[in-house]
Amino acid sequence: MPAIDIPEAETREKTGLAAPWNVIVHNDPVNLMSYVALAFRKVLGFSKDKAQKHMLEVHHKGRSIVWTGGREKAEFYVQQLHSHLLLATLEPAPEG
Amino acid sequence: MKFVATKEGALALEEIPPVLFGLLQAIPLRAASEDPRVESRFYPAPALDALLVEDWKSFVRPELQETFLSAREVVLADLCGTLETEGGFSMKIPPNHMDPWLSTLNQARLAIAEENHFGEKDLSEEIVPDSSDPRPLALFQISFYGFLQECLVKMQD
Repeated sequence: MPAIDIPEAETREKTGLAAPWNVIVHNDPVNLMSYVALAFRKVLGFSKDKAQKHMLEVHHKGRSIVWTGGREKAEFYVQQLHSHLLLATLEPAPEG
Repeated sequence: MKFVATKEGALALEEIPPVLFGLLQAIPLRAASEDPRVESRFYPAPALDALLVEDWKSFVRPELQETFLSAREVVLADLCGTLETEGGFSMKIPPNHMDPWLSTLNQARLAIAEENHFGEKDLSEEIVPDSSDPRPLALFQISFYGFLQECLVKMQD
């Protein structure tokens, strides 16, 4: 049997975390503040105080970053927030 | 009209006058608006990425439509169980129906606001009744549904 030259395979393993994404909730004049805070608690599992803090940030600053992490989970949270009729978007988190 | 938290955790609405009962009956209908402005508010773009927006329309939007529709159906069924008594109408919102009610009330409030182009300023203005203008009635509807939402949020706290 003829010998087969098996080329030496060079493999490189790439490790590292995927770039994080932000989930952002935007202000809406119609949604009640108490309802927005309740939606944060239900969807994101926030404590009452944390939900209140983010709700007030949305109200006063027009938007609040409510979660940062992997894209798939960010999409899931945006869908859940949309199911509560909140204006939510996802965008890549700025580097650094 | 009385709002009573029952021992079982339900919200009982009692002695509802006919005018307010009419507004309650209108909730599922107002929530089911097909106005394009309402559609865009109910199904906002999740990001700037065009590919994600297209995927969202194909996969997420039908799920959201189903969620909103099933919430409206729960509310409609509860409204069908309303009793007429001497003091007015009465009905109960059981604990496991509170989420569908919150959703449908929110749908209705957002739909009315979009259809009437209401902004923050309009929503905070004093409501002056005027039979020749549908605007104060729309504002009153948003306010009444908001009050009911607040009661439901408090009961879930």
